[in-house]
Amino acid sequence: MPRRTPESFLPLKSHWFHILLCLVDGEQHGYGIRQEVLERTQGKVPLWPATLYGSLKRLIQAGLIEESGERPAAELDDARRRYYKLTHLGRGVLDLESERLKDLVRVLHAKRRQGVRT
Amino acid sequence: MSAWIRGGRWIYRRVARAYPHEFRMTCGDGLDRLGDDMLPIVFREQGAVGVLRMLGDAVIRLPFEHFATWTDTLKEMAMNQDPFEGTWKANPVLSNFDPKYKPEQAFLRFEPTETGYLLVAYGIKDGQAVAERPTAIVADGRKRPVVDLNGRPIPGVPPGAMQYGNRPDRHTLEGGVEVDGKILGGGTYQVSADGKTLTVTTEGMGIKGPFKTTAVFERVMPDPYSPAQA
Repeated sequence: MPRRTPESFLPLKSHWFHILLCLVDGEQHGYGIRQEVLERTQGKVPLWPATLYGSLKRLIQAGLIEESGERPAAELDDARRRYYKLTHLGRGVLDLESERLKDLVRVLHAKRRQGVRT
Repeated sequence: MSAWIRGGRWIYRRVARAYPHEFRMTCGDGLDRLGDDMLPIVFREQGAVGVLRMLGDAVIRLPFEHFATWTDTLKEMAMNQDPFEGTWKANPVLSNFDPKYKPEQAFLRFEPTETGYLLVAYGIKDGQAVAERPTAIVADGRKRPVVDLNGRPIPGVPPGAMQYGNRPDRHTLEGGVEVDGKILGGGTYQVSADGKTLTVTTEGMGIKGPFKTTAVFERVMPDPYSPAQA
């Protein structure tokens, strides 16, 4: 099957963007992703378990994330937890989506400035 | 422990276990574990409403995941099989039929044989069910006399007519009929990379005069003639 280009994923689904954003710093497990998204959005994006794992499954299938083979030491964390990390493609898609959002904000600012002048 | 948490866990675990095997293979026991971890927190923060929302999320997504698994399986089957094999239905919006030969509905069926394909074309024209004579496509680059499936001459076909077939790549078939080196009619059948559409380009001389057609067909899923689907 031909590999999809990063551009073909844009615009990225909101849930996918939040999940990919959580994995920029490193690996994370499902509960950690949910908590980070909840904090970052002040509770406005509650990723319920089925929604979260449905999105994780699709992100894995799309090749944007992958399960990490490494596990933290058993005394530090629950060994049964699965950790996820960004793939090269996922990082590229996240960069492109960030640029797209930045461009939109730039357009908004430009329009506002124009509105103030007139 | 609250009855809401106990009851919620009991229901949640059963719903989580009803998720498709493929889903659980990808996510492991993450769905069960996250539910276990979250239920007490959700109940503390949002009360019974939160528990119900969490259960509702799991219940609502369950049929979607089964449907997604089912469609993934079908896609996989379609990708693994011969790109032409199966039944195709013309999309009238995307097709550009010659007005003289424009059907209301058109179907193509490709069945693999030992030497190539058996092609059956049928449909509805002027309100009547119509079907063309089944054709054997042998795409080995050689020329053969135009005969029916029993090796007998076909009425109306000029003497000395030869049919030919080529397969430049896995997704493309070329074929036609010629007499004394002059092409009477021919065409190209090309399946898209995702295996979902078949574009047929034909040109030649028919009973009602010359024709030129570009038709786009879409794969009929599941295949109505496949024994496995019956």
